Amino acid sequence: MRFRRSTATNLVLNLLVSLCALILAFPLVWIVTMSLKQQAEVMAWPPSFVFSPTLDNFRVLFDVAKAGATSYGTIKVDFLTPITNSVVIALGSVLVSLAVGVPAAYVLARRDIPFKEDIAFFILGFRFAPVFLVVIPLFSVFQTVGLYDTYLGMIWVYQVVTLPMMVWLSRSYIEDIPKDIEEAAAMDGARPFRVMLHIVLPLLKPGLIGASLLIFLLAWHNFALGLILSSTKAPVTVALLKLLNPGVQFYPVMAAGLVLTMIIPVILIVIGQRHLERGLTFGAVK
Amino acid sequence: MADVRLEGVSKAFGTIQILRNIDLAIDHGEFAVFVGPSGSGKSTLLRMIGGLERISGGRLLIDNEVVNNVDAADRNLGMVFQSYALYPHMTVRENLAFPLRMAKAARAEIDTKVVETASLLQINHLLDRKPRQLSGGQRQRVAIGRAIVREPKVFLFDEPLSNLDTELRVQMRVQIAKLHRQLGNTMIYVTHDQVEAMTMADKIVVLKDGNIEQVGSPHDLYHNPASRFVAGFIGSPKMNFLNGHIEAAHEAGLDVKLDAGTTVSVPVQPDQLLVGKPITLGIRPDDFSPSSAVRKEIAIELDVDFVEHLGSVTYIYGNAGNETVVAKAPKAEPPRGLGKVRLAASPVDCHLFMANGKALRRLHAPANWG
Repeated sequence: MRFRRSTATNLVLNLLVSLCALILAFPLVWIVTMSLKQQAEVMAWPPSFVFSPTLDNFRVLFDVAKAGATSYGTIKVDFLTPITNSVVIALGSVLVSLAVGVPAAYVLARRDIPFKEDIAFFILGFRFAPVFLVVIPLFSVFQTVGLYDTYLGMIWVYQVVTLPMMVWLSRSYIEDIPKDIEEAAAMDGARPFRVMLHIVLPLLKPGLIGASLLIFLLAWHNFALGLILSSTKAPVTVALLKLLNPGVQFYPVMAAGLVLTMIIPVILIVIGQRHLERGLTFGAVK
Repeated sequence: MADVRLEGVSKAFGTIQILRNIDLAIDHGEFAVFVGPSGSGKSTLLRMIGGLERISGGRLLIDNEVVNNVDAADRNLGMVFQSYALYPHMTVRENLAFPLRMAKAARAEIDTKVVETASLLQINHLLDRKPRQLSGGQRQRVAIGRAIVREPKVFLFDEPLSNLDTELRVQMRVQIAKLHRQLGNTMIYVTHDQVEAMTMADKIVVLKDGNIEQVGSPHDLYHNPASRFVAGFIGSPKMNFLNGHIEAAHEAGLDVKLDAGTTVSVPVQPDQLLVGKPITLGIRPDDFSPSSAVRKEIAIELDVDFVEHLGSVTYIYGNAGNETVVAKAPKAEPPRGLGKVRLAASPVDCHLFMANGKALRRLHAPANWG
């Protein structure tokens, strides 16, 4: 049976969709154009949509030699270090979450252990608590044990954000693998470790790629943990805050920083889109 | 090359008892079929033999060795699952090679055995396909291939044909029976389909509510069912059950007065204590004949309300008094339509079941085929 709509309904629906798209896209477009403008153009009223774009703001972010001199003042920024920090911390968090979370999820999905649901809920519980609840007590602990402002400490503490997500996502992916398949492998002579290696992991691969992407984004966007527990190893989200000056505000430079912060997840999403969709819808359709 | 023995085996999930005190011996090379309605525990029993389910009590011996605590991976058994359970990310070739890889067989040996097995099951042309590119019957064959490629001691089949259509099911039934003859291994097969049990088994194990009702050859179960349950379960259409009570006991058997009216003398092991007790008389639909053919017959007047023409046979459904009866219609003159039909059966073909469901031993059961 074919489903038909009248032209008028179609028109209204399309208009609504366009409106939604416009509302969603506006801040993004605004930031991108801002990053390509001069300070004077940014402050102009009414705002101009026609201007000669410049990449100068991006140069300022990385140009340590000229110490961030612009036509309207000097700002000293080093944006390369925070980007490197963020990449290291986010990637490290994903890897640790994979290594710890997938085995944990497997046990929660398949084995009969006491208090299974309570443990699963406890892990998820970390997602309910505000991050500051963990951060403030950790601040002094980290300083005492020497984890403050280290990659190790950051990756460790980021697990509060990433691990529950990894455990819950991969648990549901594992539950979607028919148990018969694992039992068949056991009957075929495979010990639990080899069942995991040869059967479970290959079948989980698309789901895990999707979950890893999601978790990378979560880690990339985290702000509170980096703000309090790091200084030289601070992630890019914290560096953005530092672009706020006590004196003149360098809006176009800040916009350029934002664009750079967004572009890495965007590239990842474009590359991994197929897997991300699968990660989000895995298990929805048998 | 193995025999399987269960000694007082039981299974409980928490407080729920699934299987109670199962004693069973399956000899080397035997084709044993576990049959029973759903919830009877037949699949659980198979999974316990396979090592996929823990044994709560008793001993399981394979080749005289207690294997209660041996992992499924180390029991060296092959199993075919109802869902086929093929590895979806591997080709047919890789699926077949998997058990050999796990056994750390040499590359060359794996290649030879995979090809040999594929030829045996006529799936050579499918070796490079993924399971999702196969039809149900082809998947089934790959699943069987994966179970036999390693030449395990015992093959376990868990309702392997229930996802196939009728025609394919009959075809695969024949193929599995042939395979058993060719390989000569011990096979244990679970089904809820009594036709599969009857056609394939050397030994049928009928399970009900976690207990073994009866163990025997298909012939035995058909002609000497130990209980009303087995009598009703084996044979299609189902055996007819007519209520009555015992009037007298004598050397040649028991005289039964049926509620439907007739009195009949059934040749079973007589017992004076049963006189006056209620009894159920069982007659298979196929044992009815036109009224005048047999002497000392049970005559029944059937009020026909449905006639089922199956081509080779015709069954008539109707009522005799308060009882519902199914009977095979005489081949020469099948009933034209509804109405009354007089049918008869020889008392020799009748079974008697006591109120507790147990059968009384028949004195003239047909000799075994074997």
